[in-house]
Amino acid sequence: MAAVVPDYELAELYTRAFRVGTLGPGWQRLLGPPDLSLAAEAEKEEEEDAAVAAALGCAPGTAAELRAVCSIDMLMSCEKEEDPDVIPEDSSLLTLRIRKKALERREETIIVDRACRQETLTYEMESHATGKRPDNPTDLIEEGELLLTLNVFYPVIFQKHKDHKPYQTVLVLGSQKLTELRDSISCVSDLQIGGEFSSQPDQAPEHISKDLYKSAFFYFEGIFYNDKRYPECRDLSRTIIEWSESHDRGYENLQSVKMEDYSFNDLSLKIGFPYLYCHQGNCEHIIIITDIRLIHHDDCLDRNLYPLLVKKHWLCTRKCFVCKMYTARWVTNRDSLAPEDPCFFCDVCFRMLHYDAEGNKLGEFLAYPYVDPGIFN
Amino acid sequence: MSAVPGLKEDCEELLGAFQQADTVRFERFAELWRERRFHTIFYGRMRALERNKITKKTLDVAQQYFFPPYSFQIRVGALYLLYGLYNAQLCQPKQKIRIALKHWPEIQKFQLDLLDAQHYDAVYIFRRLRLARAFHFTAMPKLLTYRTKKKIEKNYFKEEFKDPSNRVNSLITNDVLEELMNIHDHYQKMKCVISADKSQPDKALSLIKDDFVVNLKDITLEHQEWQQNRMKLLQNAKVAPETEDKKKEETLLKSEGSERANALARIKYKSYSAVVEVSRSRRHRQVQLESSESGPSCGKSPGRSKKASRTPQPARRSEMQVAEETVTRHIGMPVIIEEDSEE
Repeated sequence: MAAVVPDYELAELYTRAFRVGTLGPGWQRLLGPPDLSLAAEAEKEEEEDAAVAAALGCAPGTAAELRAVCSIDMLMSCEKEEDPDVIPEDSSLLTLRIRKKALERREETIIVDRACRQETLTYEMESHATGKRPDNPTDLIEEGELLLTLNVFYPVIFQKHKDHKPYQTVLVLGSQKLTELRDSISCVSDLQIGGEFSSQPDQAPEHISKDLYKSAFFYFEGIFYNDKRYPECRDLSRTIIEWSESHDRGYENLQSVKMEDYSFNDLSLKIGFPYLYCHQGNCEHIIIITDIRLIHHDDCLDRNLYPLLVKKHWLCTRKCFVCKMYTARWVTNRDSLAPEDPCFFCDVCFRMLHYDAEGNKLGEFLAYPYVDPGIFN
Repeated sequence: MSAVPGLKEDCEELLGAFQQADTVRFERFAELWRERRFHTIFYGRMRALERNKITKKTLDVAQQYFFPPYSFQIRVGALYLLYGLYNAQLCQPKQKIRIALKHWPEIQKFQLDLLDAQHYDAVYIFRRLRLARAFHFTAMPKLLTYRTKKKIEKNYFKEEFKDPSNRVNSLITNDVLEELMNIHDHYQKMKCVISADKSQPDKALSLIKDDFVVNLKDITLEHQEWQQNRMKLLQNAKVAPETEDKKKEETLLKSEGSERANALARIKYKSYSAVVEVSRSRRHRQVQLESSESGPSCGKSPGRSKKASRTPQPARRSEMQVAEETVTRHIGMPVIIEEDSEE
């Protein structure tokens, strides 16, 4: 099979479609064992001069000379211990002069310069799994494995997100099945509890939407990958396929296949192109693959940790209207006792306001259990 | 991603100095690097998250100079630069250099060229980077996030770092010329064969210039020489901004540009330079003339100050800058010298 080299279809925006699995062998045949090795970083071992001479086709004396001349010490400071936090006074580098000014300005304006919790969360998520190796060697990722970076966008549409929609970033292995990704995407709509419970607030059912509506599909390059693992799963894409076939709408053959039969290596994808994940019948997420590369020894090498969430958008939780402290768990409509419609309450305030000591309903209202999108913070 | 302010300038300054040094020896590069104490480029108090981001961007900027269309010397300089930046970074674990699959053949070819020319230091350094596993082997060079809103910056290639564009030479190669010569001879022979006089073709059959292949070759050579001269002039103009020769070279460069563009620019300048002095009562709202030609150097000349528009002081300084700027960016385009505005 001719190796496919990914390249732009639309410059700087997205690539042509190519089979993901070809990238691994595509790189492997160009590289050597040391490039692909996932062995842990060894101590600084100097290469033998003879090995260098052989590889470069030069004399061993030259090799020794190279080792001396091209050593990294030639570029580093040989002076006394430098503090990298301190920018030198009279630097000739424009970057540093600008950075120094910015830092000085910060020092003047900020009283306490410390990471806020969002920054701590972001950094932790980005780096917590770096370099992790599993205890069980069978869980170790193999050389040549592909690592895909996906942005999964939230379906929540807030006013303030009109310009750039919030998303989560997930790392996934080429050999993993689509169903593994589907299970890892945590969406608030999965936790919804349907039904109106103003008359029986204590009996909100156990079942969340995730258990009731198990169908889902991914759409990549003209193929719908439907989740068919459970008997309740339906082919949500059938409507779309029938619609496109009913008239000549300009779409080529749209196909429908089973999600659990495919891994990411089997897919044909464009990098940078938006695709779709749909679940709960109408909850749609845009998915964009931003990067595909070979696995590296500094990455997380524990297969069980993938799909790995490395970035998520911090959504502020909606607080109870009364106490402003606890996250809202109930939302009411047409509530004669509430100042606005809809109105959000935490569990305690909800009961205190709407029910008397005996548990009788006071006033007219409709109440629904509420799951806040910020629940995954 | 927003850029690291000042980084591009620093990298280009270092690479420019390396180009001036006219060598590809790592020793020389290391000297220039140490002069500027380039390893401090990552210094400054910042928390880990920001440090990771800045390091990634820094490596990304440096990496761009490693590929065509930059000239051989710049590419070697970029390799050394990457080596230095990778090892000078303060992130733990180190941020890696991204290489896309489509660039690998170019890198291989580059390696072979280096080996052939026996530039062992460059080969050794690339080898060291590979052994240190400093690379991420990716599908595409950048992360593609479908950001259509953000203005996608057009790739700005510093003119001087590029190889002079060899389009003419790549079209009219030696092989092509030889082929043309052969065909031409064959054609002449055919004409002779079918003519009455076997030793030369009929007058009626003479439809082309007989020596056109030789002319083509001469024209190509001329073009090449002209290009080389221009590059030399450009380099000299950059190096010695204060010498008198500059004026001479500038005029040479100017004459390269189109006459019409010159005239148009002059007309435009004249019309915009006429600033009416307003009456006393509104003197505080005097319109300040801002030169529109000099892009970045605009920041240096006084902006909306309350001075009258006729001050000649900024003209002198920005003249140099405008000239330099224009020389850098528009080879062959007319240099617009700000005259003192006659009011």
